[in-house]
Amino acid sequence: MAKKITYEYSSDGIRQSILRHAKSLRLPEGWGEQVADRVTKATDEWISDKDIVTEEDLRVFICKQLEQISPDIAFAYHNHDKII
Amino acid sequence: MSDLLCFATIALAGFAQATLQLSFGGLILLYHASMGRHRRKKTGRLTSAYILGVLIIALLAVSGIGFWISQLAGQALTLEMTLICVGIFLACAVIMWLLYYRRGKNTELWLPRSFTRFIAQKAKTTDDRIEAFSLGILSAFAEMPMSIAIFFVVANCILSTSAHLQIAAIVFYLTIVALPMMTLKFYIRTGNNVVDVQKWRIKNKMFTRFISCTSFIVLSAFMLAFWVY
Repeated sequence: MAKKITYEYSSDGIRQSILRHAKSLRLPEGWGEQVADRVTKATDEWISDKDIVTEEDLRVFICKQLEQISPDIAFAYHNHDKII
Repeated sequence: MSDLLCFATIALAGFAQATLQLSFGGLILLYHASMGRHRRKKTGRLTSAYILGVLIIALLAVSGIGFWISQLAGQALTLEMTLICVGIFLACAVIMWLLYYRRGKNTELWLPRSFTRFIAQKAKTTDDRIEAFSLGILSAFAEMPMSIAIFFVVANCILSTSAHLQIAAIVFYLTIVALPMMTLKFYIRTGNNVVDVQKWRIKNKMFTRFISCTSFIVLSAFMLAFWVY
């Protein structure tokens, strides 16, 4: 059976991750911060009434949010670990 | 063997090696991770160190095998060894077509997941040139099962060229191997980003698969026509 690892949800971790993707896509810094703030806020609200979520659920939710605002960041966020 | 034939074989072998995706994918990962954390100049330095790592392994492998061929097996590969290389190329062509890529809308390769996670993690945390250089070495090593026969053929061709052309032949081979990575570097330096490259790779996955497979088949046919018969 696969080992289950649980860890604390980090709002700042998600914000930083989105900012890193935005920076690597050479998007304007201000725009990257706006996207990160909006998505982090939506994720915080979504997660507030849940005791536990899987990493995949969280990832899908963030990707959906990103797709509405910036498809390029959504693509990078969704695919960065599917390159090799 | 004429010098022209040797250079043509080196060109085909180098091209087949250049179509392998692990080193190239590793470079994209490094670019993506580094651009999100470092300034453009530092990213440039890290990616150059990575490419250097890949090329050093190719150079060392070809030189080592060349030394082995000249010292132990005589001046050139025997007919049997050449036929084994041809067989390996044909096997590579089949692997490229059927097994190399995972299914789905991605460019994942059939490698152990723990290994790809390790490379991805290393790319994310690479901060200096030594680490980037080591990452290049690691990815070149991981590609060895597909490229080892190419190293044998290239080393054999370099030994078969005239002495004054051997350095030029090595440089020619390394240039072809480095070409996709240098093209990526140039493409990103001109204002594009890795997402464009990755989207292109996913869209043209079938095409790259076809090119890789064909290049190995053409190399085998060329070897059979000019080195065996």
